[in-house]
Amino acid sequence: MLKLIISHEARQIARTGALWAILALLVGAIVFAAWSGGRSINRQVEGAQAAETFEDGLRNHMRKETEDYEAKVIAEGGEYQFASVRHSPGSGPPQGTNAGAVGAETSKYVTLPPTGLAALSVGQSDIQLNYLPVSMATTLDVTKNLELENPVNLATGSFDIAFVVIFLLPIFILAMSYDLLSSEKERGTLAMILAHPISIRELMASKIISRAAVLLTVVLGFGIIALLTVGTGLDTADTWVRFGLWMIATLLYSMFWFALAVLVNVYGKNSASNGTVLAGIWLILVVIVPQLVSMLATTIYPAPSRMELTIAAREAQTEAEKNFMAKLDEYYYDHLEFVPEGDEKAMDFLTLAQANNNSIEKAVRPLYDNFQAQLNKQEELVQRFQYVSPAIMMQLALNEVSGTSANRYEHFLNQVYVFHDDWKEYFGTKFLQRYPLKPADYEDFPAFSYEEEPFTAVMARLMPSLLGMLILFLSVVLVPFLALRNYQVAAR
Amino acid sequence: MLEAIQLKKTYGDYDALKGLDLKVEPGDIYCLLGANGAGKTTTINLFLNFINPTSGTAKVCGIDVTAQPLETKKLLAYIPEQVMLYGNLTALENLRYFARLGGHDYTQAEYQAFLERCGLQSGAYAQRVRQFSKGMRQKVGVAIALAKQAKALLLDEPTSGLDPKASNEFSELLIQLKGEGASILMATHDLFRAKQTGTRIGIMREGRMMQELGTEDVSHADIERIYLEHMHGDAGRYAA
Repeated sequence: MLKLIISHEARQIARTGALWAILALLVGAIVFAAWSGGRSINRQVEGAQAAETFEDGLRNHMRKETEDYEAKVIAEGGEYQFASVRHSPGSGPPQGTNAGAVGAETSKYVTLPPTGLAALSVGQSDIQLNYLPVSMATTLDVTKNLELENPVNLATGSFDIAFVVIFLLPIFILAMSYDLLSSEKERGTLAMILAHPISIRELMASKIISRAAVLLTVVLGFGIIALLTVGTGLDTADTWVRFGLWMIATLLYSMFWFALAVLVNVYGKNSASNGTVLAGIWLILVVIVPQLVSMLATTIYPAPSRMELTIAAREAQTEAEKNFMAKLDEYYYDHLEFVPEGDEKAMDFLTLAQANNNSIEKAVRPLYDNFQAQLNKQEELVQRFQYVSPAIMMQLALNEVSGTSANRYEHFLNQVYVFHDDWKEYFGTKFLQRYPLKPADYEDFPAFSYEEEPFTAVMARLMPSLLGMLILFLSVVLVPFLALRNYQVAAR
Repeated sequence: MLEAIQLKKTYGDYDALKGLDLKVEPGDIYCLLGANGAGKTTTINLFLNFINPTSGTAKVCGIDVTAQPLETKKLLAYIPEQVMLYGNLTALENLRYFARLGGHDYTQAEYQAFLERCGLQSGAYAQRVRQFSKGMRQKVGVAIALAKQAKALLLDEPTSGLDPKASNEFSELLIQLKGEGASILMATHDLFRAKQTGTRIGIMREGRMMQELGTEDVSHADIERIYLEHMHGDAGRYAA
């Protein structure tokens, strides 16, 4: 019987022009979103490659100079020396022998590799750069390209497939099912159908299944096409496991909206009022509530603005420059083993710069840590309040499976900070020891390799969102399910 | 067979049906007469399980409608005052869908034979029913009832708004079905049609069965007079 009604409904859908228009719009939205998401991720990847190529080029140039210098020293005899500011340009050792110059004037770009699904849910990766320049500069300089304002703004600006699923798919679902029951009542066919041996629950289930089959085939089918087109790592199990989780999340989210349409149909009146009520609920759950949660997070845990951080850094820098000798002494006090002899310390610009940077880092670090702590609290609050809106749960879930979540990014940043320290340590020490860098040393520079977080950590963060959506769906579907048991076709 | 035993339906303070006892035997066309609000449609809706009775029992072929609604619906066919169909499907497609809902399926020729028997012009079989007149839709409704091979028919003012020719054809069909042993319960305002087609008549008022008559025992004029007297509340002397 279910099969009969499902095929009947499918035929009805096939003969309704408006529904074809809806499907065409949905397909158009998915295609555009895939293109847009793919472009966004490609831009990031290409940007990272270009920056890395540029910086590697600088270092290669320095290395080439040291190779020439080394050849010259070997040919002409003499000592392989460290380039210091006392050498006039063009004479003496090249800058490439100075670890301070290499470590401070060239950067190592560290990259957070996108997951196979990154193009499907750009998330905040468009404002949180996935490639950062690590040098001997301060943490603030390393992260200065990040837009840290309002990171919990869940209404992402990117038109990616996640946007289509979270914002547009509910509209398409409601457009196809706002009149599930009311249209049959208004047309007068409900009585004709229910005079046959079929229960209203079977009827509703058939209607939902037929619509869900059409919509989810489009969404999941085009999702796969999008993945094959703009996704990466298609030969890895990780990508397909993530895509499986993506489909589960999409299914749960869609089921909630279908259940809501059934609920409103069971208790609603006519199609027009059902449509109005459902549009209102969409507005509240998808637009208003996420905004309120975002506002709540930023109000309860306000983070200092980026501007404040920059001002604090400049003040620290000005302060450091005013008292540069004192700062230098303070620096040498911290690094007694590197205190040079004679008047050399005052002459060395790089040492001063290093001292300045350390001073700024010390002044700014607490502010920065506070800033990060506030952001983490905002994120935690959003995660705690995600259950008030399926859209928030879905956004968090999709960002999580696509590897564009705030948590994965923090995991990346923590590794960047460690690498930053390694970099400073490596070049700083060699610089202060006045160790002349040789071409072979270029092979031993610290390298960054992103260590992916364990999948269990991803699942641990994903499960609350998936379970939340499942429970929400069950709560919403249970009410009409029970109410339909005693549905009165000819209510007075 | 259709049977109502002390069937009651109450909406809040309003008693729509006040303990109705009724029996429609195979081969009977039982016509329920009464003004609007007399309880005719409520009775039909109770047999269809479209509403739950407040008390009492409705049975179809001995099966309690409330206890086994899907079983009883297999035995019933229903033709409402306005047969409403899927406008974007053809007459044949509508017929086929509803027949299959009822658990039957036929060949294309058999479906066409049902429509032909109901008097629908053959040119309309493959037309979408969106532009059908009420009479044409009623014919498709009858075809649906025929295809269901129901043992009992519930008709709620099925000829209301039909032209005399269509009404007449409809009556002839009912008589054929009666001959095939169907139990037919028809709510109607049409006293003439009730006398012409029915085997028995029940006159209802304000949720009560006021009087039952055998159509062979009374003339058209008698039916009209008795009916009007019941409507005016002074027909006690005619009560059976």
